[in-house]
Order: sequence, then structure tokens, then C-alpha cells
Amino acid sequence: MVEIAATETATATKPKNPARKVGLLNRALMVLLLTVVTIWLVVPFTMAVLWSLVDPKTGWEYPDLLPPSLTILRWVEVWTTTALPQAIANSYMLAPTVAVSTLILASPTAYCFARFDFPGKGFAQVLTLLPLVVPGFVLAIFFSSLIFSLGIYSRFLSILMAHCVLFLPYAIRIMTVSFGQVRQDLIDAARDLGARPIAVFRAAYMPALLPGILASLIIVFIQSIEEFAIAFIVGAPNFTTIPSILYSYLGYNFIRPNAAVVSLILVVPNVLLMLGLERLLKSANPAQAGGKG
Amino acid sequence: MTALRSIDVSKVFEDGFTALADITLSIEPGEFVTLLGPSGCGKTTLLKIFAGFYEPTTGRIEQDGKDVTNAPPEKRDTAMCFQSYALFPHLSVAENIEFGPKQNKVNRDERLTRLNDLLRQVDLEQHRHKLPNKLSGGQQQRVALARALAMRPSVVLFDEPLSNLDAKLRESVRREIRGLQREFGFTAIYVTHDQSEALAMSDRVVVLNGGRIEQIGAPEEVYQRPDTAFVADFIGSANLLPFQRVDDHVVETALGRLTVSGPPDDAAGFLCWRPEHAQYGVTEGDNVVNAAVSELAYQGSYTDLHISPPGVPDQRLHWPGPASGVSDQVTFRLPPEHIRFVRGKLG
Amino acid sequence: MNWRRTLLIIALLTPGLGVIVIMIGSVFYVAVMQSFGFYNLVGEESFSLEHWQKVLDSKQFSRALRYSAYIATVAAIGSVTLAYPIAIWLRRPFRGSLVISALLKAPLFVPGLVASFLFLNVIAFHGIVNQFMMWIGVTDAPIRLQNDRGAWGVVFLQLWKNMPFALLLLTGAVQSISDEVLDAARDLGAGSFARFRKIIAPLTVQAMQAALIIIFIGAAGDFAFQVTAGPTNVQSMAQYMVFLKDSFGRWNQAAVVGVSLMVLALCGSLVLAVLSRALLRSGNRW
Repeated sequence: MVEIAATETATATKPKNPARKVGLLNRALMVLLLTVVTIWLVVPFTMAVLWSLVDPKTGWEYPDLLPPSLTILRWVEVWTTTALPQAIANSYMLAPTVAVSTLILASPTAYCFARFDFPGKGFAQVLTLLPLVVPGFVLAIFFSSLIFSLGIYSRFLSILMAHCVLFLPYAIRIMTVSFGQVRQDLIDAARDLGARPIAVFRAAYMPALLPGILASLIIVFIQSIEEFAIAFIVGAPNFTTIPSILYSYLGYNFIRPNAAVVSLILVVPNVLLMLGLERLLKSANPAQAGGKG
Repeated sequence: MTALRSIDVSKVFEDGFTALADITLSIEPGEFVTLLGPSGCGKTTLLKIFAGFYEPTTGRIEQDGKDVTNAPPEKRDTAMCFQSYALFPHLSVAENIEFGPKQNKVNRDERLTRLNDLLRQVDLEQHRHKLPNKLSGGQQQRVALARALAMRPSVVLFDEPLSNLDAKLRESVRREIRGLQREFGFTAIYVTHDQSEALAMSDRVVVLNGGRIEQIGAPEEVYQRPDTAFVADFIGSANLLPFQRVDDHVVETALGRLTVSGPPDDAAGFLCWRPEHAQYGVTEGDNVVNAAVSELAYQGSYTDLHISPPGVPDQRLHWPGPASGVSDQVTFRLPPEHIRFVRGKLG
Repeated sequence: MNWRRTLLIIALLTPGLGVIVIMIGSVFYVAVMQSFGFYNLVGEESFSLEHWQKVLDSKQFSRALRYSAYIATVAAIGSVTLAYPIAIWLRRPFRGSLVISALLKAPLFVPGLVASFLFLNVIAFHGIVNQFMMWIGVTDAPIRLQNDRGAWGVVFLQLWKNMPFALLLLTGAVQSISDEVLDAARDLGAGSFARFRKIIAPLTVQAMQAALIIIFIGAAGDFAFQVTAGPTNVQSMAQYMVFLKDSFGRWNQAAVVGVSLMVLALCGSLVLAVLSRALLRSGNRW
């Protein structure tokens, strides 16, 4: 009897603990998700790395789970025998130019959106999204048709123009937010203290704008490096970029190890840049922390 | 039978913070109980345990004698009024009020009756089709009340419902809540950090501090007869003074030797007295204190005086009249019946 | 507003918005004009409906249109459907939730062609999928999974690439719903599904529509996934358009396909936007 009573009170005062249940559920979900993500990301990228290192003499055939021997021969071969170095040079010349031009074009509009109110502003802001809703290849083909009829023959210039238009929405959006974070009281304080326009800009605008400027440059840079439709339609065959080269190895003549090399060259710098951007956005926060107080 | 009961309830959060420890509390049907305490005392946590949003780490919750410890909020016969009102921004006033009855499959006629009655009672009939963001704070608060009452709950839980209203409005909504409670007869548990709200509205006040119950009692009781230094200070900021026992009716303090009505429990500890209990114009006899005024602030109906006896916190006095009548020295008497010993100490 | 201010605003808007409107406007204009026989690179220019007739009559076109509409619809609805529960799960931060959301969003930063390539490796003859199927004994010899006729590969890639985008938009929207509003719904008796349908979905409908529309348009105009991983017996609209342009320079017919693709994108987005709103409406009355 005593024992039964004791166990009863024990169960009564110790309820099932759903908080722990929820924790367990979350943990189970997380394990599941990490597995999925491994299959989702890790396996494909590992395979890409392995493929880029396959020894052409031994190959990688069924039933080998891993390539029998690894070598950087492919990398050397792709580098020396294909147009890849030229494509890299093209891409990395184009992208910074696009990033800077886009920023310059976007800033006045962003400034206007952030600091002026005018009738039709909402509509104007929606209009800036136009390049995002026109299918890429439609834009590419008829842009190429347009520049032919205008008589512009520089491929570099053509792609530069198209990329600027294509990525303006991102730059305008980011810079609008940045200009919105410039504090009027700081501007007023600087002017009250007798600062000249340049000093006002440095004191009040620069701290708020800098993260946005860098973010805009990085995002447009990455987008320009990755962009395929315009670079391919307008540039081919004279002006190759990294995605065009990759496409040539994925299309009619599928050369897996070469495609692996080019894929990695395309992705790795961008991932590093993205990580840098993340850092940047995090470190940008304290700059605004003094905000409303 | 009790309407709601917590038995040895504690709550330890995942980060190891103990929000509540061994809370045992019984609430009678139709009672208006206030959970009063500073922020972080666990009052909202306890309310959310009653509502079912949190499960206690240990202990039980009973409603009408049934164990509801593990019942989720959607299955409990409680309705909550949130601090931010938590109105559904995409639904009109009427749709907000009907939300609960719809979820609980109340039939259409009954739903409409309840809706119309409630709209009339909270005086929002002409706003029934408006969205919440078109209403003033007070109106939103009344929608939130009506929405909770549309469930015909036996217990209504209020989470600092007046904290977002301005002082004038607070008083009228306070009366409204009390009126609705009498009319509908629900049991009310009301969380607040505002002692005047607690004293004005409640049948019983539960004073919480650091996750523990300091005192439970009627408003007069917790005000007039605080058990602990915390309660004395938190409700109406009484003066606290350390003492040494001399004999059963005399103690030694920084204000001198004081006669007290009853014997203290301990040889030393804290006593408390309230600023409004000091008597002026008495210069002879026991418990007469003469002290230098260190600070004064005119408050309208009285002037707030501070005296600074050495080694103890400032003691406050309510001088009846304007500041101009105060000289550098003040003489007053502390009636023994208003000196009370309290447990614990501050901080 | 005085005229100086007006001039200033116009001057500020010109390099950004002005350039966008002029460029996109001209491209659109060229496409439409070419589809009616103008702006020919070679030969005569005259108004004609011949190109429209030719393209609309071709079987290839109607198949491409249906195919692209199908892929786009599945991609849009599928991505949003997958993203919603994850967004709700990640609404409140918990240990590891940041890592998870970063990993889930990673595909956003993988270019389409690279995604295709990665996918092709995984499903190759000696890719991990075939190896796994042989290991568990589903099949004795590797199966050809590439360019499958059911377009499962393309659908998978679309979801892989677009789900993170939907997740990005929906997480923001779902996180902006206050805890107390959701608690209030629970308190009033709404279970998890009712909370989703009555509170979360209506309050995030704009983000949902934005995700649906942008994914639909992107997937309708897809070229890279289709060319590398898609079925070989049908072309997507973009692929068909490029094919027409490249083979004998049928620019006018390519223009017809291009304009049709834009119409498809527009109609599809409208239908999805209206449909999602209508569904929510019907959810609120019963």
C-alpha cells in the first residue's frame, strides 16, 4: 500500500515534459535536415571536386565508389588547351565594370526614392523591378537584335549595358535602404557645426552608405559573373565568359572533368565573396545601432 | 471547488533560468486575482502556464478539479487578453470576435447573438466592420476583451492589458473590465506590475518576487500588513528601518528608541512604517523623532520629505501642506500600532 | 510641388529608372515589332501576321508552351509548398537554426549551370543514386536517369534552386507575425492547421504571391536546366526560341515565341496571384 501511494505521488508531481518533447522533436528534425542537406550540398560538391581530379589514364568507372587515382592533370590541361584563361579574364574584367557602373547609375534614383516624396513613387519603385520579370532569354535575344540594329559591335560594351540594366533593381533596392538610413539629425548637426558639403557627406552619409555600397558591389559582381543568357547570346562565339565555357562542356559534347573544373572556378570565388558579404552585413549593424536610441 | 489551482509549480527555462519555484495557489470561481510583481518576477510565466502556453517543469495545474497540466491552450477553458491586444490585423472587429466561436464550432445563431451582445457591451457597434489598425488603443483593448469573452470562458487571463493605454483611459477600461467580470461572472487572473491597479481591482493580490510568492491577501491586507520587506516596499513604498530588540515593546533604531505594539520575532531585523502614518504637531511622549530634512518635493496634496538617518536608507514623510511650510527640521511621532515587523530585507 | 523640384526628381530618376524603362521598353518593342515582320536584319520589312500563324500552327510550339507552363506551375507551387513548413519551423530561433537556414539557402548562390552539372553527376551511370539503387538491389545495372522523359530532373532542379528563394521571402514574412497573435489564435482554439490557414497564410500572402510570381517567371523562361537535364523530346519556350533564332535565323518566329513567353509569364503570374488570394478568401468564410 505504502509503495503504491509513493509511486502515485511520484507520477503526480512529475508530469510528462512536453518542453523536452519539443526539444527532442527539434533535434530529430535537425538530424533529418542535416542528412538531407548533406545529400543536397556536400555529396554533389564532393563529386564535382573528385571529377575535376580524376586521372584520365585510369578514369572513374562503375563500380569504383571513388576514383582510383587523383591528379591535377585536368586542371593543367583545361588551363593550357582551352579558352578558359581568356574567359576568366573576360568575366573578371566585365564584372567589376558592371558593378561600379550599376552603382553609379543606381545611386541617384535610390537617393530620390529614399529622400523625396512625389506622386507615383510607389509605381516608379515597382517599375524598377521590370528587368526581373522579363524572362532572361527573351531579354538576351531581343537585346542582341536591338544592338545589331543600332550598330553597336563591341561585345564587351553590349554585355556591359545589358548587365547594368539587368542588375539595376538590386543596386537600387540596396542603396534605397542605405540612403534611408542616413540620419537627418546628423546632417543637420554637421551643417549646424558649419561643415561644408564634402564634410557633411563624410560625416553623415558615408557611415550609413558604406555597407550598402559594398553589398551592392558584391551582389552585382557575383550576378554578373554568373549571368549566362546575355553573355551567351550576345557574346558568343567571340566573347566567352566562364558560364559560356561551362555550357560548352555541358551541351552537345559533354566533358565531365572539364565541366567539373569550370564549375569549381565559377562557384568557389562567389561563395567566398558571399561569406565576406555576410560578415560585412553583420559588422554593419553596430554602425546603425546608435539609431533611434 | 476551486476554479483554478497550481500545485508546486516550478518552471526552469532551457537556458537554466528558474522563472518560478514551488507556486501553490488556489483560485475560487468568480474571484478576481491579481499577480503583482516587478518585471522578471515570473508573473507572466505563471499566467502562461495557466493558459497552457508553457508547461511547468514540475507540478500540476488543475481546472475545476481536473488535471490540465498537459492540455494545450486550444483545449483549455481559458481565454487570454494580451498585452499587445494581439488582434488579428487582417480580420475586422466582428471577425476577430467571432474567431473563437468559429474555431469551437459554435452554431451561427449563437455566434451572432454573442457577437451583437458583446459589441453592444463594449460599445463598438458602429466599428464592427473596421480593421483593428483603424481603431484607437482603448477600442482595440475592448475588441480584445470582447474576443476573449466570446468564448464564454470560465477563466479570463489578463496579461498587463492596460500597460499600453494612457493614464486617463486606464481608469475607464479598468472599471469596464471589473463591470464585465461582475456581469459574466468569470474568474479573472490579472497580471500587472502596477500596484494601484492591483489594489483597485482585485479580490486578492498575489505578490511575486524572484519566482516565489511573497504574500497572498486582500488588497487592504497586503497594503496594511505586509509580511515581507519586499511587499512593504513594492506596494506603496513603505519606509524600512533596521532594528535591534531591546525588550518585548521597545526596539533600538537609527531614529532612536521606538515603542512597538507587539514583540518582534527576532533579536534584529527590519520594521516598516508608511509615510502617511507619521503624526505632526506632537513634541512630547514616546516615538517622537526630530530630524533634519534632506530633500523635499511638492506633490500637490502633500509634500514629500526625506530625512537621512545615518547608515540606513532615506525615510520618507508626507507633510500635509505646501513646501513653504517646511522648516529645516521636522518633528513627528510614529504611532506604535503602525509599526510593523517584516521578514527578509531589500535587494 | 514646384517645377525645380520636379526637374530635380526627373534628373535623379533618369540614370536608374530611366535607363531601365528605356532599355526594357525598347527590347519589348523590338520583340513585338519583329514578331509582326519589322526590324528584320535582312530582307524586306512589312507588317505581316504570317510569323504568328506559322508558329502558332506548329505542334512544337504548343508542346513547348504547355511544357513551360507545366514546369513553371510545378516549380512555383512546389517551391512555396516546401518552403512554408520550413519557414514556420524556423520562425523562432533555436540552437542550430541559423546554420540550417544558411545551408538551406545555399543553392541560391549556385549558378543554374553548375546546379545542373552537380545534378548530372549525382544521377550519372556511376553516380551515387545508381550506386545506391544497385547496392540495395532495386536494379542490377545502372539506369539512365539523365534527360528523363517525365522532366523529373528539371522539376527537381527547379525546386532545388527556387525553394531557397521562396524560403527567403517567406521566412521574413512569417517572422514578422508577432508571437502574441499566434498565441491568441491558439488560445481561441485554433490548432496548427487552422493557425496556418486563418492567420499565417493571410498575413504572408504578399510574400507568397511574390515568390509564386518570380519563380513562375523564372521557370517559364528556363533554358539552362532544360538544355542540360531536360527531356530531349520536348523543348522549353526559351530553348525553342533560341533554336528558331539559331537555325536559319528565323528571328521573326523567335520573336513570336518570345512575345508568347512574356504573355505566358504575365498570365501565369496573374492566375497564381488571384488564385492564392481567392483560396484564402474561401478559407475565411464557411
